Amino acid sequence: MTIDPHVNLSRRAFAIAAASAAAGLTIGFRLASAQAQGPQAGPPVPPMIKDNPQLDAWVRVAPDGTVTVMTGRVELGQGILTVMRQVAADELDVAPERLRLISGDTAQTPDEGITAGSLAVKLGSTALALACADARATLIGVAAKAWGIEPQAIKIEDGVMSGPGGQRMGYGEAAGKISLSRPVDVTAKRKNPADQRIIGTSYPRVDIPSKVFAQQIFIHDLRPEGMLFGAVARPPAYAARLLSADLVAIRAMPGVVEVVRDGSFLGVVARREEQAQAAANRLAKSARWDLGMPLFGGKSVFEHLVTANAETAVLHDVKAAAPPPVLTHKVEYRRNFQAHASIGASCALAQWQDGKLDVWSHTQGPFPLRVALGRALKVAHETIRVVHAQGSGCYGHNGADDVALDAALLARAVPGKPVRVHWSHEEEMAWEPWGPAMVTRLAGGVAADGVLTHWTHDVWSFPHSTRPIRGTGCNLRSAWYLAEPVPPSKVEDNPMPAGGAARNAIPIYAAANQTVTSHFLADMPIRTSALRTLGGYFNAVSAEMFIDELAALSGRDPVAFRLANTKDPRLVAVLRKALELSGWTPGVVAKRPLAPEMTGTGIGLSRYKNSDAYVAVVAQVSVDTKTGGVRVHKLWSATEAGRAVNPDGVLNQIEGGMAQSTSWTLREEGRWNNGIMQAVDYGSYPIQDFATTPAMTSVVIDRPELPSLGVGEGSQAPTGAAIANAIFAAAGGRRIREIPFTRERVLEALRS
Amino acid sequence: MVNFTVNGRGVDVDVDPETPLIFVLRNDLALNGPKLGCGSGLCGACTVHVDGRSVRACQMPIKALAPHSRITTLEGLGTPERPHPLQAAFIAEQALQCGYCTSGMIMEAAALLADKPSPTEAEIIQHMNANLCRCGCQQRVVRAIQRAAGKGV
Repeated sequence: MTIDPHVNLSRRAFAIAAASAAAGLTIGFRLASAQAQGPQAGPPVPPMIKDNPQLDAWVRVAPDGTVTVMTGRVELGQGILTVMRQVAADELDVAPERLRLISGDTAQTPDEGITAGSLAVKLGSTALALACADARATLIGVAAKAWGIEPQAIKIEDGVMSGPGGQRMGYGEAAGKISLSRPVDVTAKRKNPADQRIIGTSYPRVDIPSKVFAQQIFIHDLRPEGMLFGAVARPPAYAARLLSADLVAIRAMPGVVEVVRDGSFLGVVARREEQAQAAANRLAKSARWDLGMPLFGGKSVFEHLVTANAETAVLHDVKAAAPPPVLTHKVEYRRNFQAHASIGASCALAQWQDGKLDVWSHTQGPFPLRVALGRALKVAHETIRVVHAQGSGCYGHNGADDVALDAALLARAVPGKPVRVHWSHEEEMAWEPWGPAMVTRLAGGVAADGVLTHWTHDVWSFPHSTRPIRGTGCNLRSAWYLAEPVPPSKVEDNPMPAGGAARNAIPIYAAANQTVTSHFLADMPIRTSALRTLGGYFNAVSAEMFIDELAALSGRDPVAFRLANTKDPRLVAVLRKALELSGWTPGVVAKRPLAPEMTGTGIGLSRYKNSDAYVAVVAQVSVDTKTGGVRVHKLWSATEAGRAVNPDGVLNQIEGGMAQSTSWTLREEGRWNNGIMQAVDYGSYPIQDFATTPAMTSVVIDRPELPSLGVGEGSQAPTGAAIANAIFAAAGGRRIREIPFTRERVLEALRS
Repeated sequence: MVNFTVNGRGVDVDVDPETPLIFVLRNDLALNGPKLGCGSGLCGACTVHVDGRSVRACQMPIKALAPHSRITTLEGLGTPERPHPLQAAFIAEQALQCGYCTSGMIMEAAALLADKPSPTEAEIIQHMNANLCRCGCQQRVVRAIQRAAGKGV
């Protein structure tokens, strides 16, 4: 295809080009590629369109009128495929039920990297919407030309166009007269919010019926003909290396088809799932291992964090004149390792056939996984196809990518046979990347009039994003244990303002002087990566605990103190809404004597990533001062994230995040011995249950005129903060400085 | 050889009697409903009914099944054409996110409603407490059970 960069890409020019093209002739060559535009040539190109400029990478129309839309984004339990269907259906004027939707397949869909960071709606759906708007306008152009009328005179009902004179033309017929194999016209106009019929409604989740009626939808349920089962024999410590193993004895076990050894990687393939598990367990136990060095040199992780060599960088620095502080305050907070702890462990299915590899995976990024698999397996990644299939809830970088390599390594021993590997829950907990332990130190000052004079936020952390193909290395766990290991590249932190370790460390309050400093530990004795919000949860919880302490120390009500120090009207709006819902009573947190049970109410306020959803949460808790037990009775929340594409979907994400965060904040922490995580089951790593999930009342403030903001990770931080501050209020200004707020830590704080 | 019925159909399986029921249901009988969760009886994702009682299929070796036991999985509870009230209620309340725990939730709730057609909220919470949902949909699940309660379960 030749590209003429001189053609003006305006929508009108395109309509003329379409109208003047002969029927059946491709018109793509008339359009400049999206990337060829100069900076002055119209609207910015959405990043996902820049990466996938072809229109037919996003939408195709078959002669029978079937419309297929493609997204590189994947369903992680967050409902994103419903949102994509809503957006595409609305922009195309096709009934949502009639759309074919393909997601996350390296052979069929756009490459959108990973589905993470609350970006799927913000970036992914925006790109798809633009492509669909372009396709719709193009098809209208065909009918307008055929009928010799203005495009505006044409009405569309479920993919059928009609003219004022009774003319009718289906999308299939119109598409036959042109080609969609050309760059997306980035000047295409999306519908006005007032004209949207499906976007902005609580369209029911499309995958819920199949889940409620037990239809095949999860990767765990794929059962191709002749499938075998694989399992990995795990080392007893992360740093362990295999000395010897009796593979012959294992090969003789019932059902065992193959035993695989490659360096310190050990695994089995068997006819039945329980046979594979039994053989792998016996193999791990009977093998001899060198355990390697103890974790953190035997120190506590918090001591390690603040004393080990770190890369220190000032990430945010604002200086301005301020009155002298009449009060200064300085604190340290800590958070231990936390896990994704999904109900279903990671799973993958792999099959080698004629030197090519097919992998089914619940990865967040089929395209990056394909590259990582190529590196680990030392084959060209073009010979690998990765197809997304749904897994259990994701919540960040779990074992999904790792288990895909395990399945590929084991399937390589049985060419032609599909092999499914479904990790055990204990394996997931011990071997998935954990959310890092972190330390924050905050310092600040308050002037006589209650205005902040300065605010410094230092954060110590391990990496929050060690995705499979950072740099040239490979972060698939088993690749590190092969005879020819493929180690991960040195990890760099994600850049600000979204950030990784320092995400949400930039204060939402208007202190005249502000500094954010990161102390980043790239080496991670316990492997870490993205847990929903990265550093955002703990940084924002730290900041919200700190502002309440400043308010209390200066004798001010926490709401009044916040309002005196923030001017952002969207933050103020959600704060006021949450207060109104909760029936908040103003008051100053002050020391008071202990009673057997003490109740309190607290606030948490956040703008996720300093760029996305605005969320305010109010928590009401009681503290049993004999046992240290904390009970969260009620949470109220208000969320504003611009245009809410699916308000009930937003609510489900927000309230689910509130329930999850309640558990993070009160119960969850990793425990390890010298070599490996020990908190590996729901007994040693308990998560939220019905009895500990608080009652919740929430509202979503829809702003149809504003762009949609990421919402999937918006509520965790303000929920943790609201609970922390409610305990602070209940305990009369006594602060627990380490998350989770276990009974022991509560009792210790109460004694202070 | 162990024989029992699953969703009304007779089944003979010739596997090691120690085999946990979950693997027979999922891998031999190709049922998608019961899910392998924690494998330790702590999460409830594998919940099925054996002779009307809710059972953790990951914890039950098939040798422990009484002869001619009647097993019901989510597939046997209802269909899109004739949904069980709980299935309809889970859709109406959009009571899940990822849905991995859903089969276990519905089966456990069905056992509750069979025993106690109109449970209080406190009774629902107590009965369901050992079924875990990591997405945090507990409040929606309670609402779905309340919606289904008293609808001729």
